[in-house]
Amino acid sequence: MNLRGNSLKNWLLGYVDAWDRFWFTPRLPHALSILRIIAGVMLLYSHLVLATDLTAFLGDTAWVNNETAMQLHDGTFGTSDFGRTYLWFISSPTLLWVHHGFAIAVTACFAMGVMTRITSPLAWFLQLMYLHRLTGTLFGFDQILTYVAMYLILAPSGSCYSVDAWIRTRFASVDRGRFWNWLFPEAKATVLSNVATRLLQLHLCVIYLFGGISKARGQTWWDGTAVWYSVSNYEYQSLDMTWLSDYPRLFSAMTHATLFWEIFYCALIWPRLTRPFILAIAVALHAGIALALGMITFGIMMIAANMIFISPESVQHTLISLRRSSQHAEG
Amino acid sequence: MDSASIPINKRVRLLFSILIVGHLLALVLPPLSVQTRGRIGQSPSVSTALEWFESYSQLLYIDRGYAFFAPDPGPSHLIQAAITNPQGKRIERMYPDRDQQWPRLLYHRHFMLSEFMEEIYQPPGPPEELRQANRQEAQYWSLSRSRYEHVRQSIVDHLKYEYPGDEVAIRRIEHLVPDLIDYQQEPVQLTDERLYRVLLDQPIQQEASK
Repeated sequence: MNLRGNSLKNWLLGYVDAWDRFWFTPRLPHALSILRIIAGVMLLYSHLVLATDLTAFLGDTAWVNNETAMQLHDGTFGTSDFGRTYLWFISSPTLLWVHHGFAIAVTACFAMGVMTRITSPLAWFLQLMYLHRLTGTLFGFDQILTYVAMYLILAPSGSCYSVDAWIRTRFASVDRGRFWNWLFPEAKATVLSNVATRLLQLHLCVIYLFGGISKARGQTWWDGTAVWYSVSNYEYQSLDMTWLSDYPRLFSAMTHATLFWEIFYCALIWPRLTRPFILAIAVALHAGIALALGMITFGIMMIAANMIFISPESVQHTLISLRRSSQHAEG
Repeated sequence: MDSASIPINKRVRLLFSILIVGHLLALVLPPLSVQTRGRIGQSPSVSTALEWFESYSQLLYIDRGYAFFAPDPGPSHLIQAAITNPQGKRIERMYPDRDQQWPRLLYHRHFMLSEFMEEIYQPPGPPEELRQANRQEAQYWSLSRSRYEHVRQSIVDHLKYEYPGDEVAIRRIEHLVPDLIDYQQEPVQLTDERLYRVLLDQPIQQEASK
């Protein structure tokens, strides 16, 4: 009995140990810093595009005006939710422009890594407020962009490849105290970088798993025609791929590969043996969506998010190699 | 690295672990509730579990179903607007329109808006039989119809703002994807007028009797 009790205890402790190692092993911030640059630029682009027609999407004369946008969330039509935003209450176009200018400035700082400890949560919060206001005009790009920005808050993503890192190096000789070190963190391995990485990795697994499961409920993802029907949708189309109809083996193979890849992503992305193949398919699939289905922003963000499975050491070494080779080329 | 050399103490790890598990449940339960919806509504066990995390998921916008191009890729839905000035001259606009909305992200926002109009569409009603048989369902019908009408009116108001003094009427258009076998036998342009159909806004009984 005692022996059994001990082995059960050891077995459970093994799991606790594995959990702790999975979540709390310190990790370098380099991959997250690259992701910060990509997410920041995409967030900035999204705000700039919105600025080209701002009052068509925000305010009292928008496609979905302030009152209707609020009613979609506040229970007027039966369902009330917590997708709340102060933007429902801003009617003045001038104030909307000032707010949008502020959002653009914050996002630009986030992308460049200026005061990232402050601009990172602020950029995410502003994005979230826009999302709750823009109900009815959102798609997958907005989702993945917001999730990446959300997880980056946890990590010191401004500790390298940033203006913050330059400031830290520039004033390295003087110890300015704890607040300074928090504001301009050192690019070292931290538990929070690991937690942010793990959360994004698992979130991607959830996205693909349910993406796959919902496809598996359809017929065309099983009979192999879904890819053809996707590329033949004129409103999505950015590259004419209707010639695929002459190659049933090709489009059906693409359909089956997409379905099985999405369902099994959550399992096959973890072993080192299968990870490169899964990531290669992710790049091919999302590049295809970007080029053929007109969702360049979504494709870029999904590829960038998938790079979270590449170790920060690899990112660091790749960038150093690239820098050396460019110096050689210049020399 | 073994767990003994992790640089945070057990209490903090436990606190973090609880928060992590809570967040993961808030991630998984919304898409699970979409997939487990059936004849009795949401799965009772999933909806009970979701109640604890729903507000958090909604607040963080992680209450999504992730059903991209699922269960099957289908037709697109557009908004067609007829704008008539006081002199009786009429122009027609289609939303989305690649020639009018650029860059692509702006076009896609208009596309999602027209798809949203279709997604929330509820025919006029509810039918009298439903009103008598199931008051709750009938009330839900009325609210859904009201939601559609408010969004529709908001879109009309926006166009009236864009074209001051003009009369504006909008309707929903479905743009079909050609059937694969038909297309293999006789390829057509994806913009062939036979692939567009007007979606009428009328009570269900009339649609059924047509």
